[in-house]
Amino acid sequence: MFRPRHAALNALRHYSTPAEKPSLKLVAELRKRTEVSITKAREALSASGNDVDAALTWLENDLAVSGAKKAAKVSDRTAGEGLIGVSVLSSGTGSQNGAGKGGVRAAIVELNCETDFVARNELFGKLLADIAHTAAFIADVDEQATSYIRPIPLDLLLDAPLVSQTAPSQSQGTVGTAIRDTIAKVGEKIALARVAAVATNPIPKTSQDLGLRLATYAHGSVNLSSQGRIASLALIGLKSPRLTTLLTTDAFLKDLEKFERSLARQIVGFDTRSIRPATDAPDETALYDQPFSMLPTDEKVRNVLTQWAREKNLVSDEDGEDTGGLEVLEFARWQLGKAT
Amino acid sequence: MNIGTIGHVDHGKTTLTAAITKVLSTKGGAKFTDYAQIDKAPEEKARGITINSAHVEYETDNRHYGHIDCPGHADYIKNMITGAAQMDGAIIVVSATDGQMPQTREHLLLARQVGIKKLVVFINKVDQISDPEMLELVDMEMRDLLSTYNFDGDNTPIVMGSALAALNGADPERGEKKIEELVKACDEWLELPPRDLEKPFLMPVEDVFSISGRGTVATGRVERGTALKGDDVEIVGLGAHFKTTLTGIEMFHKELDRGEAGDNMGALLRGVKREQLRRGQVIIAPGSMKPVTKFQAQIYVLTKEEGGRYTPFMDNYRPQLFLRTADITVGLHWPEGTADAAEKMVMPGDNVELVCELVHDVAAEVGSRFTLREGGKTVGTGIVTKILSS
Repeated sequence: MFRPRHAALNALRHYSTPAEKPSLKLVAELRKRTEVSITKAREALSASGNDVDAALTWLENDLAVSGAKKAAKVSDRTAGEGLIGVSVLSSGTGSQNGAGKGGVRAAIVELNCETDFVARNELFGKLLADIAHTAAFIADVDEQATSYIRPIPLDLLLDAPLVSQTAPSQSQGTVGTAIRDTIAKVGEKIALARVAAVATNPIPKTSQDLGLRLATYAHGSVNLSSQGRIASLALIGLKSPRLTTLLTTDAFLKDLEKFERSLARQIVGFDTRSIRPATDAPDETALYDQPFSMLPTDEKVRNVLTQWAREKNLVSDEDGEDTGGLEVLEFARWQLGKAT
Repeated sequence: MNIGTIGHVDHGKTTLTAAITKVLSTKGGAKFTDYAQIDKAPEEKARGITINSAHVEYETDNRHYGHIDCPGHADYIKNMITGAAQMDGAIIVVSATDGQMPQTREHLLLARQVGIKKLVVFINKVDQISDPEMLELVDMEMRDLLSTYNFDGDNTPIVMGSALAALNGADPERGEKKIEELVKACDEWLELPPRDLEKPFLMPVEDVFSISGRGTVATGRVERGTALKGDDVEIVGLGAHFKTTLTGIEMFHKELDRGEAGDNMGALLRGVKREQLRRGQVIIAPGSMKPVTKFQAQIYVLTKEEGGRYTPFMDNYRPQLFLRTADITVGLHWPEGTADAAEKMVMPGDNVELVCELVHDVAAEVGSRFTLREGGKTVGTGIVTKILSS
């Protein structure tokens, strides 16, 4: 008679004992897989009876709550470090690959954190790459707009589903939750400072003498060449009666890309604020007035553009007056912490 | 010696620094510096370069420590390049509640980059952890990570305590005693850099005179080591590389038998003609340094605000390199194997690793510091990290 009662008591006692103490090995394994804090890893294992898979699920659910808590805790801190990231999905006329082949689609993003240690970490770089990728992805084409490079409202981007650059199909959360998850891991405030994107349709077949292309550069890269402390995104216009033929020539395309890179670098290297000077006075903040120091020449950018167009046969004497060339149409030059 | 604290913003490195000064101040080895004073990390100038760093000093029974605390990676690098506060060791601070974090890797990489060979780890906030096994895990993971980044993971001292408890005077077992243990670990584990006097003799030649009836005298300020009258010495640099004997040491028109680091002296050299000596050469203990023409260096390029260039430069930029008293034209190049080297640029404000090719040889070694000048202004400052050819 006593026996069953004893068993029942035992069972009761079993239920009331606190969950099993998590083993060191499992905590270590969980941390290797998720980069969560020791305290969290332990809590997760306790709550899921030392089952790693269950603990992973627990962590995922918990991240929404604890990540938000952590984010709230650090929200009033200053995030003055970080990186500018550029993502190009399609580089424009003549481009061989990418979504919306032939059109232009790209984004530039400034993401801030508190120290340059975190900015140098891979997690941060990957987050920024994914956000820039997403921004380029969601940018709208607007043929009526007065400018090519247009800001994307931060709220809109934060609520957008994150489109991972490396594993597009794997993504689950939004840009906002991805930021929050990274905050939980590195324990620093991370905030989007500014975002802009450019998206156009391919140039219609009726104007085949026109081309629109993109050039980008990021300076001070640590892990990824598309990210740095200063970056530029420039839109380049091409015009030539021979454009279609030229763009199918490998040699021309290679030269063009190289030239575009040096233009994007020039914009970053100097304190470039406009394309053409506002007055007749020499002005080195105007791109066309700068000495083109990215090339072994002392010529001004304006003259180099003209020479290059002639050399590469974009422009020829046989074409008559004002038939073509290469122009910088618009650019964004972003420096870390200098959002206005 | 100089040490620094490196760690995540929330892990209590500032509290720890304050706690060290507090605990040592009770023994008269430090002036207590509170949290707010350290946390500010004032802007300072070293060789014209702006660096954010907080300094405190303290003494143990055996040593004097200069302790620096910088907010970021770039500030530690600038400290290293300028020599403003060359770190000889560091305390890595990790919270027991979080354990090492993703950026702890960046902290260790930085320590490597600034040339630190030995570290001490302080696991902070242990009062917030109830399970001692978890502390074992923090310890284990930290040793693992240290080894991954080529530090001595097995033997590096790891001290577990609470900086806050030490600062508040609460819980002496976890607070004060652990700070004492940490300081002791620094004393025992971190290696003192050799003092200037213990290093081999080196005097940069500033000026050369010939004194009739006596011979040729080179003057300069002894940078390190000591020399006795009659010692063998070597002249190195600007094409010269020969041995001679120090037949006389003169200071303030007095004949002396000995010159040492810090002295301004004239060195009388046996059988040397005036034409064989030039400003920019060095007089050294034989064999202690070699003439080099090509080396790799970590260089900081001054910003416009710091008086430097306002435009970028590309591969094969050719400023003047000033190393001790030498002034030599140098060509700057990207290290071999750099992708797209011809297209890469350096901007004011950058920290870069570049190869320096000199038009004349100069006496230099790893750790030698130099400045780069162009048109009368300092455009960069650097430290030799690797000798490539002599």
